[in-house]
Amino acid sequence: MISMTTLTLIFALPLLAAIVLAFVPRNLGFVMRAGAVGVTFVTMLLGILMFWQFNGAAVDANGYKFVSTIPWLGAESLGIACKFGVDGLNVGLVLMGAIVAFAAACCSFEIKTREKEFYILLLTMTGGILGAFMSTDLFFFYFFHELALVPTFIMIGVWGRGERKNFATFQITIYLSIGALLALIGLIALYLQLPVDARTFDIPTLTKYFTEHTIAHSAQMLIFPLLLLGFGILVSLWPFHSWAALGYGSAPSATAMLHAGVLKKFGLYGLIRIAIPFCPEVAQSHLQLIAWLALGNVLYVGWVAMKQKNLNLLIGNSSVAHMGMIFLGIASLNLIGVTGAVVIMIAHGFLAALTFGLSGYIYNQTGTLEMSELGGLAKKLRFIGVAFVMAAMAGCGLPGFLNFVGEATVFFGAWQVPALRTVTVLAVWGALIIGAVYMLRAVRAALHGPISDKWVNLSDANLWRKLPYAILIVSLLVFGFFPKLITEKIKPVTEQIVNMATVKPATPASSETVVMVESK
Amino acid sequence: MKLEALPWLILFLPLLAAGIITLFTLRNKAVSAALSIGAIVTGFVLTLIFIKVNGFAGSETALNWLSIGNLNVDFGLKLDALSLMMLLIVTGVGSAIHIYSYGYMHEDPAFSRFFACLSLFTFSMLGIVLSNSFLQMFIFWELVGVSSYLLIGFWFEKASAADACKKAFLTNRIGDFGFMLGILMIFTVAGSLNFSSIKDQLVANPTLLGGTATLAGLLIFCGGMGKSAQFPLHVWLPDAMEGPTPVSALIHAATMVAAGVYMLCRVFFIFTPDALTAISWIGGFTALLAALIAVQQNDIKRILAYSTLSQLGYMVMGVGLAAPEAGMFHLTTHAFFKALLFLGAGSLIHAMHHEQDIWKMGALRKKMPVTYWTFMVGTLALAGVWPLSGFFSKDAILAAAHHHSLPLFILAVGVAGLTTFYMFRLVFVTFFGEAKSHDVDHAHESPGVMVWPLRILAVLSIIAGVIGIEGLFSEALKPGGEHPHGVLAQLIYPFQHAPVAACSGLAAFAVGLFAAWKLYANAKSDPLPAKLGGLSRAMANRFYFDELYEATVIRLHDLISTISDWIDRWIVEGFCLGLVRGGTDLTGRALRLAQTGNLQTYAFLFVLGVAVLLWFVLGK
Repeated sequence: MISMTTLTLIFALPLLAAIVLAFVPRNLGFVMRAGAVGVTFVTMLLGILMFWQFNGAAVDANGYKFVSTIPWLGAESLGIACKFGVDGLNVGLVLMGAIVAFAAACCSFEIKTREKEFYILLLTMTGGILGAFMSTDLFFFYFFHELALVPTFIMIGVWGRGERKNFATFQITIYLSIGALLALIGLIALYLQLPVDARTFDIPTLTKYFTEHTIAHSAQMLIFPLLLLGFGILVSLWPFHSWAALGYGSAPSATAMLHAGVLKKFGLYGLIRIAIPFCPEVAQSHLQLIAWLALGNVLYVGWVAMKQKNLNLLIGNSSVAHMGMIFLGIASLNLIGVTGAVVIMIAHGFLAALTFGLSGYIYNQTGTLEMSELGGLAKKLRFIGVAFVMAAMAGCGLPGFLNFVGEATVFFGAWQVPALRTVTVLAVWGALIIGAVYMLRAVRAALHGPISDKWVNLSDANLWRKLPYAILIVSLLVFGFFPKLITEKIKPVTEQIVNMATVKPATPASSETVVMVESK
Repeated sequence: MKLEALPWLILFLPLLAAGIITLFTLRNKAVSAALSIGAIVTGFVLTLIFIKVNGFAGSETALNWLSIGNLNVDFGLKLDALSLMMLLIVTGVGSAIHIYSYGYMHEDPAFSRFFACLSLFTFSMLGIVLSNSFLQMFIFWELVGVSSYLLIGFWFEKASAADACKKAFLTNRIGDFGFMLGILMIFTVAGSLNFSSIKDQLVANPTLLGGTATLAGLLIFCGGMGKSAQFPLHVWLPDAMEGPTPVSALIHAATMVAAGVYMLCRVFFIFTPDALTAISWIGGFTALLAALIAVQQNDIKRILAYSTLSQLGYMVMGVGLAAPEAGMFHLTTHAFFKALLFLGAGSLIHAMHHEQDIWKMGALRKKMPVTYWTFMVGTLALAGVWPLSGFFSKDAILAAAHHHSLPLFILAVGVAGLTTFYMFRLVFVTFFGEAKSHDVDHAHESPGVMVWPLRILAVLSIIAGVIGIEGLFSEALKPGGEHPHGVLAQLIYPFQHAPVAACSGLAAFAVGLFAAWKLYANAKSDPLPAKLGGLSRAMANRFYFDELYEATVIRLHDLISTISDWIDRWIVEGFCLGLVRGGTDLTGRALRLAQTGNLQTYAFLFVLGVAVLLWFVLGK
């Protein structure tokens, strides 16, 4: 039985390990590697255990389970308390984060210089991400995100690759810092909406409060756009996306895996958990805008991905394009669509980690990711080739992988909103056709065709190196075959959020939004 | 209903085989082949047992797979005469092809991978056949797409195969785009994805889908256009011949391309009369177009590929003419004789050391007697000679055309003549006349594991017209309709029921055969290009459809993506630099909004500090 302290351990272990590693002499590279892999492995096991034990029973009044507090952290006078818990919305994300963290630690073997610093940052990032998703306190939710974000910049700057590494670091730092800042301003403005004596950062309390007291429209008009913009930048919402592909393309594999896979979902999580239910009126009037911006991701960035000559930039752009599907699900603001959006968040986490991990392997073997240089690699890299084809297929929404469940659900959700029909048709085109065009192009250019003489000495992954990819693929397949494992957990929470966000339709235009709740 | 578990077993055995081969037995050829062949043969036997016990009675079982709000997706099995017959065809013809592959692929280093893909393909195809809802069908539809991608691109190190599999997948995806939209439209109105439930609702309320009924039907048909390679999405099928020949037989004769026709029959109830008219004309046009192209192809597999296209056009036309039972009947007989023809072609190619040009063969009749005789049976069946199976199924479609639409009837009869012509052109050039290359001298008959499937398929091609298949489909798709019982009654039924259609079909055969004999009986090279000039070139070049798409659809997407990339690189990224320049000003204003306490200032300075630090360290 998982106890409340074990939940805390999931994020605290990596952070503690990071501190311990700081005292390990730097010439013991093996200890660093083994430590990071071992700790993330335990974290992953705890995450799986937590997910396994999470069910409808024994949740508290707010729907959270395993609620735990670190009493000596926090500031009572400001209403800050270090509290953690999981409900249907974040339980899947924590599981995904823990699995991806282990995979990322396994893929970090490519790092040969300054291992000590790298593994300390990697573990800090891991702990930060998991802590952010588990926090039920707005302050720590943000704090842990920052804790994970800063190592990202440093890792790209120091261990990154490619000619444009410095520009990439600069760009990602500027964008994400501004995004985080705008979100912070929005969150504080939200905090200030409470009466002075009742001010708290506790998310369940806030949820209860804002269900009973609506925020004034003028305040919503300030808060929601700030949160949308801030969180949107963090998730590479079009047109604030240009940091992502280049940033991931230049990052070491583990960093790209953790950021694109897990950390990026912070903004989406914030939108779903906080921005939309707390500012329902303004959120509803912004749904059309969100949907069209989402189309910018799906279609426009999809086209950009078609044109890339570098494998990592192609994957990076495809990751940005997938974000559009999540935004479309959110914009539909009904049970089906939002649930689908959360499913894609989880699915994309596994997938992004898988693709960046694989491209990292190829880069380490060949020293290049220019697709004109590659070709025919599937002949030599059998396992990597198969895994890459599977990733490409998952990326273009092939049934069997969790991504299909999410995308199809989002389509069904969005189609129920008549005002979003046009966007949905175009998004289906983007997901089914454009997604397939660039994914198959990557397979054709890198893996298929005749192999060049210079690649005849490449070696395929050994059993140990196969492990991270295998775990990620298995995760996608298991949930893809049995989606109810995830959707049944998400549903109650998204239903509550959707009810909160649509209970009082403000404008006639958005009253078309149909909430489909079946008693069945 | 007894033995309820059997259909589940039939469906999942091939998946199990594919999984085990991929994970454990890639290095062991014999075990891999045994697993894959065992899975499908067991499936065939179990299907026979199931039908023996339960007959063709309808039933449906389902488990809930996904349920969010009113979106309920079941994973179910729909068993009725339609799906059970199709199950027999897929497992039966599939078994023959699996066994044949054991001989054909024996020397290939990736032998085990081949069988893993074959089993995955079989699983996907069986899934389509057994689906009881639109989304489940879409799921397996996509899986068939990907397994065909893997099989067509089996020799991926060959650039042409790698391109062909990509083209097949993408063209199919365009059809799936329409399919998905059609499913969304129907679901929104009917609130269900289950075939039976939607059918019941439509029966109770025929105007359920309202003004969008025709559109929804045509969108669903888009899916079929992709898989069954109907004009204008037909371009992938001939290229798909890049796969190994058993794959061509499996995909392009018995299973994948049949999926589209099967789907149309399965959801026949949603099509409005307008939609059916459109479907029949698309089918008819495809039949004519492909037959014309086939006349001027020289690669033996491409001739058969275009012939498949043309026959698929027939089937789709049959469905469009409100005769789905005729379409399914033709699908069944076609599965037998086209699989036979492809495997026969494979036997030739095997003997000729992978030479596929018919003008380098010739005189193979003596060298390969079994291949010759079975190939001849397949050709006669395809040409529609009484009393072979093709005659009856083609006649059913001709009769429907005669009944509904005179122009389509004339077109169909014309295509029947062309079919005979191009098939006998192929037969005369490869099996008769003189040897046209040295490879012919070394050619010899294929091993038993390859010729036995030919013999079995030949028998089926002969008798399939008169063993009651038509009656079965009639009862399943048009309950209450008349159909003959007994072999003798079936033999003469076409001449009693629709003598004009039957006689026209035979006359077309006679004309086609005569023309082919005149032109090709002892030809050393093709006389047609000289006689037809430009038309012949257009036929040989497939009426330039590939070039047309290249110049329009592909160029357009390329252009859009080039523009997007340019904007992204120079404007959106430039925007970032602009942000930095005006950054102090902008963030300063933002900060004023939140000027309430120390916390914010701290966080802002922290973040800005990191940015500035990095800019100093790395930016220069």
